[in-house]
Amino acid sequence: MVAADLSPWGSTGRSAAGASILLKNVEKIYGGPTGGLRAIAPLTAELRAGQAVSIVGPSGCGKSTLMRLIAGLDAPSRGEILIGNVPVTGPVPDIGIVFQRDLLLEWRKVLGNVLLPAEIKGLPDMEARARELLKEFDVEAFADAYPWQLSGGMRQRVAIARALLTRPALLFLDEPFSALDALTRDQMNVLLQHVQTTEGVTTLLITHSIMEAIFCADRVLVMSGRPGAIIDDIRVPFERPRRLALRETAEFTAIGRRIREHFEKAGVLVG
Amino acid sequence: MSAAEKKQDSAAASVLWPLLSGAIGLALWEGLVRTFKVPSFILPAPSQVVVTIFDQWWYLLSQLAITVFAAGLGLIIAVVFGLVAGAAITTSRLVDQMLTPWLVIAHAVPKVVIAPLFLVWFGFGLQSEMFFVVAFTFFPVIVNTVTGLKSADPEQLLMVRAMGATPAQVLAKIQFPNALASICAGIKLAVTLAPVGAVIGEFVASNAGLGHLLIRAVGDMDTSLAFAAVTVFSVFGVLLWRAAEWVERRVLPWHPSQRDAFLQRDANT
Repeated sequence: MVAADLSPWGSTGRSAAGASILLKNVEKIYGGPTGGLRAIAPLTAELRAGQAVSIVGPSGCGKSTLMRLIAGLDAPSRGEILIGNVPVTGPVPDIGIVFQRDLLLEWRKVLGNVLLPAEIKGLPDMEARARELLKEFDVEAFADAYPWQLSGGMRQRVAIARALLTRPALLFLDEPFSALDALTRDQMNVLLQHVQTTEGVTTLLITHSIMEAIFCADRVLVMSGRPGAIIDDIRVPFERPRRLALRETAEFTAIGRRIREHFEKAGVLVG
Repeated sequence: MSAAEKKQDSAAASVLWPLLSGAIGLALWEGLVRTFKVPSFILPAPSQVVVTIFDQWWYLLSQLAITVFAAGLGLIIAVVFGLVAGAAITTSRLVDQMLTPWLVIAHAVPKVVIAPLFLVWFGFGLQSEMFFVVAFTFFPVIVNTVTGLKSADPEQLLMVRAMGATPAQVLAKIQFPNALASICAGIKLAVTLAPVGAVIGEFVASNAGLGHLLIRAVGDMDTSLAFAAVTVFSVFGVLLWRAAEWVERRVLPWHPSQRDAFLQRDANT
């Protein structure tokens, strides 16, 4: 596999379908180890390679801090993070990140935007792969258009294609669809769970939407308010591919109920 | 009347009215000079200026070429210096704190006042003129470069750092393209200032160029030639501005300021 050759970690702990992630007692305190603001309480979790995991929690529960820690953009105050059995010490280029805003570069055409990670990592001949992804995301007709000519949903699809270009070990999505309208958001949910199947990449989706968290994942981690801690770990048993109607089944709504109860208990939601 | 026709109509009007206004102004000028028999060394009639331009076109153009050459050289130096200094100021806080006060002071000093000093420092001729152009034009380039480079989207910077970009890559792939619109604005300002700087430089420290021609013409009481020089200079200034805009459109096809043109071009092809 191309991606495995590019990985600095060799084959350990990393299948062709993404890498495993291990968080060991990870803690993040801003403004000094004592008396500072504790963003994340000691947190331990393990994500298997190829697994699709959602993290759902109230605002300010440290979800985005967690993302920065896993991506190596910020160091934990205590504890350790391992991706594919290798400790994270600096920026991890083997992660594809999708942000809430698509962050497309306005001066590049769509194809150029998708190719950006390959340029930065010095990987030649990625154009075929880029076009293939654009086709899969149904935006290949816009390969030579500028981002401003695209709708919000199309722009975010281009952003996901960009994140997947170099076949990263981990796809990290930080509230990627919260700026989209409800209908587009549903479409993106279907697309995301499709991509997880075809690309087989380990996926970590951070979201405020309980429905989205369940629909797109094999496993949902529920986080408490600050300091962030995992208060529930729910297996999502549905087969793929999934259809939107799945969200109306009793089993699905039961999982939703279970998550909502956590927030009601914490006073975030009034049931 | 369809919307397209209306648009065309208003486009014609937007050319017609300024032209008419210009014609009225020139006719008034011509009429007043003739009626009151104003001596041509005080105020030449427009027709006489046109005649002078045709009579002495080679002299005027050859002197304009000298001015343009000095302005062009000075401008290139100013743009290169402006870009490098702007990048240095953005990248290093130390450079920012050490260099910026000097730049501000250098800009605040009235250039015309220190023009004679340039003569002392750089001697008589092209080099003095060139440095004068640099003094006139470097500031807008630096200010706009710094503003442009600093205005990169923090999340885009975070994103490419997460991709493992080196500082040089961050500059080349994000900060510089993001700053292009602002840099273009600075260069456009500099482009209009450069010939002015060159002419003032020629007033003081040169025996050639349009500035020198102006001084000489006024000294000879050849006001008609002075007006001819001013006219040639102004036409050149307008053409230069147009050229700068044309280049800008080629460099920034994606920019919001150019999207109308982009859509029109798309519709035409």
